[in-house]
Amino acid sequence: MSNLNKRKIKVIKSIDELFKLIDINDFTNISFHHHLRNGDGVINYVLDKYLREGVNNLNLFPSSIFPSYTKILELIKNEQVNNITTNYLNGPVAEYISNNGLPGMLTMQTHGGRARATIEGINEIDITFIAAPYANIYGDAIGYLGKNRCGSLGYIIPDSKHAKLKVLVTDNLVKDYLENPEINGENIDYILEVDSIGDKSGIVSGTTQITTNPIGVKIAKNTSRLLFELGLIKPGFSFQSGAGGVSLRATKDLKDIMIKENIKASFFSGGITKYHVEMLEMGLVEKLYDVQCFDLEAVDSLSKNINHIPISASDYANPNNPNQVIKDLDMVILGATEIDYNFNVNVTTDSHQTLIGGSGGHSDTATESKVSVIVSPLIKGRIPVIKERVTTITTLGKNIDCFVTERGIAINPLRTDLLELLKDSKLKIYTIKELSEIAHKYTKVPKESLKRDKIIGEVVDRTFEVIDNIYQK
Amino acid sequence: MSRSYLFIPGNTPSMIQNLDVFESDSVIIDFEDSVISYDKDAARILINNFLKKFSFKEFDIYIRINDSLNPNFLKDVQATIDLDITGYVLPKAGLEAIEELNKHIDNKLIIPIIESPLALLKAEDIAQSNNVSGLLLGAEDYTKELGINRTLNGTEILYARSYIAIICNAYGIESIDTPYTNKDDEIGLREDSINAKNLGFTAKALIHPNQVDIVNDVFSPSTEEIFQAKRIIKKSEESNKGAFSLDGKMIDLPIIEKAKKVLEKAKKYNL
Repeated sequence: MSNLNKRKIKVIKSIDELFKLIDINDFTNISFHHHLRNGDGVINYVLDKYLREGVNNLNLFPSSIFPSYTKILELIKNEQVNNITTNYLNGPVAEYISNNGLPGMLTMQTHGGRARATIEGINEIDITFIAAPYANIYGDAIGYLGKNRCGSLGYIIPDSKHAKLKVLVTDNLVKDYLENPEINGENIDYILEVDSIGDKSGIVSGTTQITTNPIGVKIAKNTSRLLFELGLIKPGFSFQSGAGGVSLRATKDLKDIMIKENIKASFFSGGITKYHVEMLEMGLVEKLYDVQCFDLEAVDSLSKNINHIPISASDYANPNNPNQVIKDLDMVILGATEIDYNFNVNVTTDSHQTLIGGSGGHSDTATESKVSVIVSPLIKGRIPVIKERVTTITTLGKNIDCFVTERGIAINPLRTDLLELLKDSKLKIYTIKELSEIAHKYTKVPKESLKRDKIIGEVVDRTFEVIDNIYQK
Repeated sequence: MSRSYLFIPGNTPSMIQNLDVFESDSVIIDFEDSVISYDKDAARILINNFLKKFSFKEFDIYIRINDSLNPNFLKDVQATIDLDITGYVLPKAGLEAIEELNKHIDNKLIIPIIESPLALLKAEDIAQSNNVSGLLLGAEDYTKELGINRTLNGTEILYARSYIAIICNAYGIESIDTPYTNKDDEIGLREDSINAKNLGFTAKALIHPNQVDIVNDVFSPSTEEIFQAKRIIKKSEESNKGAFSLDGKMIDLPIIEKAKKVLEKAKKYNL
């Protein structure tokens, strides 16, 4: 293969130079990806220009917002931002919006919903800035090579095709041919070459370690027992887990069962960690479909293992994409900040209405997988996790099947098939109200103190249905 | 009859609140080494209140009180004497200490910790003392008194382990092995537990909830053992003889009694 017939993309050397070529005021709907997470340097670099130029009425579309994205907060405080559409946010930006709102709205989409909205033009993106750890002069790019490699670039691939203007931002520009690039140069308008796109060490989150907390260990054990008793751990099964300590412990327990029972899985999907990579290398799973790398071991695996495959957010979870990977998921393990009597789950706000996260792929995978499992301690910091009604609905209860705690398991009564399978189980199966009553024996019933005066945002499911409002604290 | 005895600090509400979660056959709420001196009162108040509000039937609760020469000894006993607990674990145990504790308790069991060379020499008398239901080897203090270091393979405590296991079996009480202190070493814990079981211990003390599964597993009869025990009992009932042959091996009373114990354990632990 060669670069013949490939079009060289104009390379520019600074953000100031870019906006000499185009009028910054024509590009106020701006998107970014968050694959470098707290190590991202592109978002602050680009938004500093908007800050200096005093461009108003901005609408931001970052796939997530992390604490290090300080220029977003400066722009908000400077009243230059109208709306933000994202999938997840925490840190100072989240706290500020929780307390003050925006002039417009905060729209919380899912990963699959964001891909769909971008492709279908609901998210009208004027310009996308794509942090690219490794790019060639033809605009092709990948995320898993380069000094600031971050792994899959899955979340920004829809933007790279559907934004009005696409700018590749790289600190590693080469002339070489790139086989199977994640970002296709045919779609790219400019390459912005910079000294650094950030710091790859920032992609590692503190939560991506297997928990040794005995309560977490017990929850994980109950989870793997549940999945085993439901007959889900069988040859060719598919699985996804979050990167939280309990989910990863459950994955480890699953691994032990797979080794003991000589079972091989077909694929794992979603955010990938070194633990998933280890299972791939041990031959316990055939393929990893990776939309996001959670650690550097996963990043390096992408570059050397052909069965570790980067995928776009659309191929991952866009409900209108017939090839979405998660439609074939047998089971998913997810977390919860709160869950209610109707199995609605909140991972968007805490019980005091502060924004602390968002769906990411929570609602996507819960909806599509055959069995969705929520794992959480029954009591968190003296507060029961089960409420009559969650503070904010992130994932609708109709899509949640099982809730696993250290003291027992609740099965959604809609899943009579699962209840039938578990009727002779030695596992402690309760109704969710019974589990709630167990918690209340220790905590009593906490007094609600929610404010529901001013709506500052909305939670939009992958179906585009608004499933809940977010209120100012 | 327990396979696992899990120590839980008496002054840690987050652990106390979850003591029924960890699936240990017995829980030892600690007032001694894991509770610093200025927190002993708080531990007594916490446990008194907690166990008056919550009762547990699925496992046994013991309290490790401070030793009989410690000023907290009597306070520990008085604060817990009315609680629904199985008994006390008595550190630095000797005959006098057990006698002293027996003056204050009624209908409670005692598990003395054998943690000095002198206590080891007196272990046979200790095992026969009133209300003593088992002996627990405290290897850390025992080796400290001997002035020797602990090793991974435990050669330095082989004699003490063997002696305690023999005495406990001779007098029909529980023999509880010393805890394995590296809480993150699952392979080491399993090996150490198997070694203890092979010497005749019936149970092991634990210092971390994550050790419970492995210890329960090691001290449970295996599927094969249960299967064989069932065959022995069935043949014994059918033959109606004191001794008989099974698979070419002689089966007599001690083996039949052992098979009964295996089935008793299997029933208790729902195996």
